[in-house]
Amino acid sequence: MSQAFPSLTLSRVLIIVLDVLLGMFVGAVLAFVTALLLITAQVHAMQTTVNGWSITMTCGKVTNGILVRAACAEALPMVNLPEEATYWTATEDGSGQELTGRHTYVLHFPPGGLPPNSAFWSLTATNIQGRLVANPFNRYSVGDRSGLVANPDDSIDIYIQHGVPAGHEANWLPVPTGNFKLWLRVYQPGAAILSGKYHVPPVMEVH
Amino acid sequence: MLVVWGAGTYTFIYFFPRLLYNRVENTVVNHGLGGSDSTGIPVNTVYTMPALASPTRSNSLQSTGNRDTLYTAGVLDLSKGPQVLHVPDMAGRYYAVQFTDPWGTVFAYVGRRTTGTKAGDYLISGPGWHGRIPKGITKQIVAPNNTVLLIGRTLVKGEGDLAAAYELARQIRVTPLSQWHRDQ
Repeated sequence: MSQAFPSLTLSRVLIIVLDVLLGMFVGAVLAFVTALLLITAQVHAMQTTVNGWSITMTCGKVTNGILVRAACAEALPMVNLPEEATYWTATEDGSGQELTGRHTYVLHFPPGGLPPNSAFWSLTATNIQGRLVANPFNRYSVGDRSGLVANPDDSIDIYIQHGVPAGHEANWLPVPTGNFKLWLRVYQPGAAILSGKYHVPPVMEVH
Repeated sequence: MLVVWGAGTYTFIYFFPRLLYNRVENTVVNHGLGGSDSTGIPVNTVYTMPALASPTRSNSLQSTGNRDTLYTAGVLDLSKGPQVLHVPDMAGRYYAVQFTDPWGTVFAYVGRRTTGTKAGDYLISGPGWHGRIPKGITKQIVAPNNTVLLIGRTLVKGEGDLAAAYELARQIRVTPLSQWHRDQ
């Protein structure tokens, strides 16, 4: 009896210590998972999507709280402040269907409807991972410097497709055969962009 | 358990940007911008990539297919004193040098939108530096932290303009204030 008593105490102490350690371990795992869930939720919450085009204009600001800061580090590390440059991305067309090189698309900018800016803009296609995909024409973006040809009414159509659009080569953005992602970059964006009033037109599938 | 959960969640969210930017800065210093096989950009120097992103060439920091600007990058350590950023006369060409702290806050720009495109020498000092600013310095920029991630972007107007753009962008450089002379 006199020998069993201390070992009983010892095992009780051990159980308590193990319980505390287990509690801390479970707490830490839960903390990690919760933090990742919150960051992911914030990444989505700070993104605005109109016509299939998504934009985030909150990153890099000194006034950002810790959750926004973490979400920005996760989704858009080193991104410019919106007054310097704004970036839209799209992986869906205007009707919510995934963009794929198996289809052909047109992006129609009405007269005066190009993204307002005092520097430059461009539209680039990459694969879903954000990598450029080689094409035999060595053409990877269109924009203010690519010699886009306006329609008679001053509107502009950009032909987004894998094959050459006959007669519209100047306004052609080649895309990979599979799913792809579009990037619209606007540097020194105009007031209508910064206020959220400007919307990029939808990418429309041509049937 | 609940205490660890709550405090742990906060701590993780709080320090996540710092961990990420730490990794970015280490990548820049050890491997530069060109992927794991390229050489690093030593602290307090900057490097300009001579080409735009292409299917075979994509920088390691972001893979977003930037076909508009040449990247310049470097990490500054201001703990031993300020650095001077020199930019050449860009003659109206779009460029921007973005200063980011290790938490992801963009605290300053030098460039067409903010300072114009004339040549300049910008003194970048860490917090708490109160030295004398020599004549010839265009402007002082006070960093909130001694570690600064510097990213420059210089516009390429088209295929035929690449050489001219690179010639200008590669003149973006940093010099320790202790070794800087006016009109150097």
